Amino acid sequence: MERVILVRYTEIHLKGLNRPFFEQKLIENIRHALKGIPSRVEREQGRIYIVGIPESDFEEAIERLKAVFGIHSISPAYAVDKDWETVTKTAFELMEKQVEKKPDLSFKVFARRSDKHYFMNSDGINRELGHLVLERFPSVHVDIHKPEVSLCVEIREKAYIYAEEIPCAKGMPVGSSGRATLLISGGIDSPVAGYFMAKRGIVLSAVHFYSYPYTSERARDKVVELTRLLSRFAGRIRLHLVPFTDIQMKIHEECPSKETTVIMRRLMMKIAQRLAEGEGAKALITGEALGQVASQTLESLCTTDDAVTMPVLRPLIGFDKDDIMDWARKIGTYETSILPFEDCCTVFVPKHPVTKPEVADIRASEALVDFTELIENAIENTEVLTVKYEDPKLI
Amino acid sequence: MYKRSGLHGYPRGKPLCKSISERYPDTGQIIAMIYFDNSATTRVFDEAASVAVSYMREGYFNPSAAYSPAVSVEREVNLARGRLASFFRADPSELIFTSGGTESNNIALSGTLAQRRDKCRIITTAVEHPSVYEPVNALKSSGYDVVIVDVDELGRVDASALEAALTDNTGFVSIMHVNNEVGAINDINALYTLVKSRAPGAVFHSDGVQAFLKLPAVRCDMYSFSGHKLHAPKGVGGLFVKRGVKFAGGQMGGGQENNLRSGTTNVPSIMALDTAAGLYMKHHGEYMAAMRDVKLRLYNNLTRINDVVLNGPSPEEGASYILNMSFLGVRGEVLLNSLSEKGLLVSTGSACAARHRGKNRILTAMGIKDARQDGAIRFSFSPENTVDEADKAAQMIEDSLSVLRRFRRR
Repeated sequence: MERVILVRYTEIHLKGLNRPFFEQKLIENIRHALKGIPSRVEREQGRIYIVGIPESDFEEAIERLKAVFGIHSISPAYAVDKDWETVTKTAFELMEKQVEKKPDLSFKVFARRSDKHYFMNSDGINRELGHLVLERFPSVHVDIHKPEVSLCVEIREKAYIYAEEIPCAKGMPVGSSGRATLLISGGIDSPVAGYFMAKRGIVLSAVHFYSYPYTSERARDKVVELTRLLSRFAGRIRLHLVPFTDIQMKIHEECPSKETTVIMRRLMMKIAQRLAEGEGAKALITGEALGQVASQTLESLCTTDDAVTMPVLRPLIGFDKDDIMDWARKIGTYETSILPFEDCCTVFVPKHPVTKPEVADIRASEALVDFTELIENAIENTEVLTVKYEDPKLI
Repeated sequence: MYKRSGLHGYPRGKPLCKSISERYPDTGQIIAMIYFDNSATTRVFDEAASVAVSYMREGYFNPSAAYSPAVSVEREVNLARGRLASFFRADPSELIFTSGGTESNNIALSGTLAQRRDKCRIITTAVEHPSVYEPVNALKSSGYDVVIVDVDELGRVDASALEAALTDNTGFVSIMHVNNEVGAINDINALYTLVKSRAPGAVFHSDGVQAFLKLPAVRCDMYSFSGHKLHAPKGVGGLFVKRGVKFAGGQMGGGQENNLRSGTTNVPSIMALDTAAGLYMKHHGEYMAAMRDVKLRLYNNLTRINDVVLNGPSPEEGASYILNMSFLGVRGEVLLNSLSEKGLLVSTGSACAARHRGKNRILTAMGIKDARQDGAIRFSFSPENTVDEADKAAQMIEDSLSVLRRFRRR
């Protein structure tokens, strides 16, 4: 009797002729996620089966699969010979575990067969096995509409039997939607924004701007760590670390004080776009939510958008801060995001930033200073790291 | 692994303090490193390190074992205990080895309370190290009567406030000998007398982590110290417990340390502590004078800069190895980063608090707030520092300030 994991996938069903492409991506990503765990990934008729997992790694494999986008749910199943005696014996074993948890549970048998030569049809299996389970476990009852436990039997080249369905991350396989570049700050929002775009199949790269000595070296390690946590879902991420102190000082010295934040964001976008173009990314991603702070009013967003030609994706635009924090907790980045090594660059933040900047005004202020050389310098001195989830934790 | 390229020329992921000045292979540049953060920790003395290695490679036996090499190791440890105890004019049996300051402070409190049945009064000061302050405060919720005594503007405990707080049911009083952030020295002998006259039933403990071997021994019932502030390794320290003081001990197990602190004896570190302490006792005058010279030189250099304020006692009055100054108009953390880029390593407060943001509890208790608190930097010295380093450091600070002060918040 072998334990296997049955993988159901999400919207890939919607795809027409492109379906093999999506399936192939998903299988690649599953293989990548299971690296180090002996296993074989097999595809068959709209399902993926993972076989050959050693018993000791089984729980770990389930945990890892939960983070793979494109998987709707998984079920740990027994793959057994399809003679009726073995099928019932295995079904009893599974039910016994469930009955231990809740003696008066409701259940139904849900059978499918792709082996049309099997001696019983699906409906027959439902009725016969349901009857046997009721006989064996008198405390349970049948509910075919809302069962607490669905005892599933699939008759294929073998019989797959399972009673548990574990919901997963859903979304689209990473790599099925092209590449985009995430501006990552070290705060709570940007990793969540990256998560949501990766969930729609985007391959992420990331850009972080640091202002040493105004931000500490630990702040930099924190961003690397956040990127690492994000790569659990998004796969390996190329992280660009851009030295930004000189530009910030120039802005601070020469631009009108209340516009410094908006101008700073425009320059960040410009640099991010250059780095994005350099690696074939098609869009920028930010963690902005409308109205959260002065630089995230609709007017401010217009002025930052004006600095670049690429589309700027803002998956959190309609989120409340609370919801973003909930998601950050859910994906495991929150605790790192709230580490305190971040905003000592508040020295650069004006007390009264403009909240409704006019694009024309900001363009004019920005034109007073020639940033070309500083931008070139920053790009030239950008450090690139490839961050993956298996990397050691830095902080 | 990540690509370890430099952040502003500093190679990452390799130890910085191999030697005082080091040539970095990737740049060929010599970065003279000045280490003025000796209250956080010190570089282990060569002699102490060799002794530790010899007890790891040759004398590695468990002193609790029965065979002859183990017995001789046990003897060595007890001789070391005797030499350290002599500093307190104490009997070796009054000295317990621990893992360091935090453990000593923790068990001083818990081991005392374990001997009492009542929810007695516990008194400490507002500027104690977290390893005293936090456990004492945690006892509030279990019904103990916790009183936190204020300090004056120089960081010394207010004796009249302490006197007013003392009651018959006071069970434990803990007052640090030297404050770790500003170097304020408490007159422990006088405070001990005061406590014993008003609350004879109280156990008087002093956290001596920043004072041990540097200042003369004081009268108290319990005294904590730590090895790594004295050029011994991290992870070793001790607690002096005067004979007759009711003390239940710390962690339980195999009954080591007179059954007061179980755990396999940390022989290499204890022997290294013994060696470092021996050097400190032997060269005491010389070491203290060297640190005093560096401190005064740095202080004099810094007072020439505008908007620099001293925190804590005057340089002559305070501990001669800790100097705390505020640089108005910059944030200490930013100045610290900028200095670290130049090779000068200092701190903004206790290293134990570097990972927590928010107000500095010690400076707040001294009435130091706003810009003066934000711009505070602690310099702490060891006998290995030189006057020349003090001059260079002052120059670096001046250079950093001239850049950083241009970018005040508008």
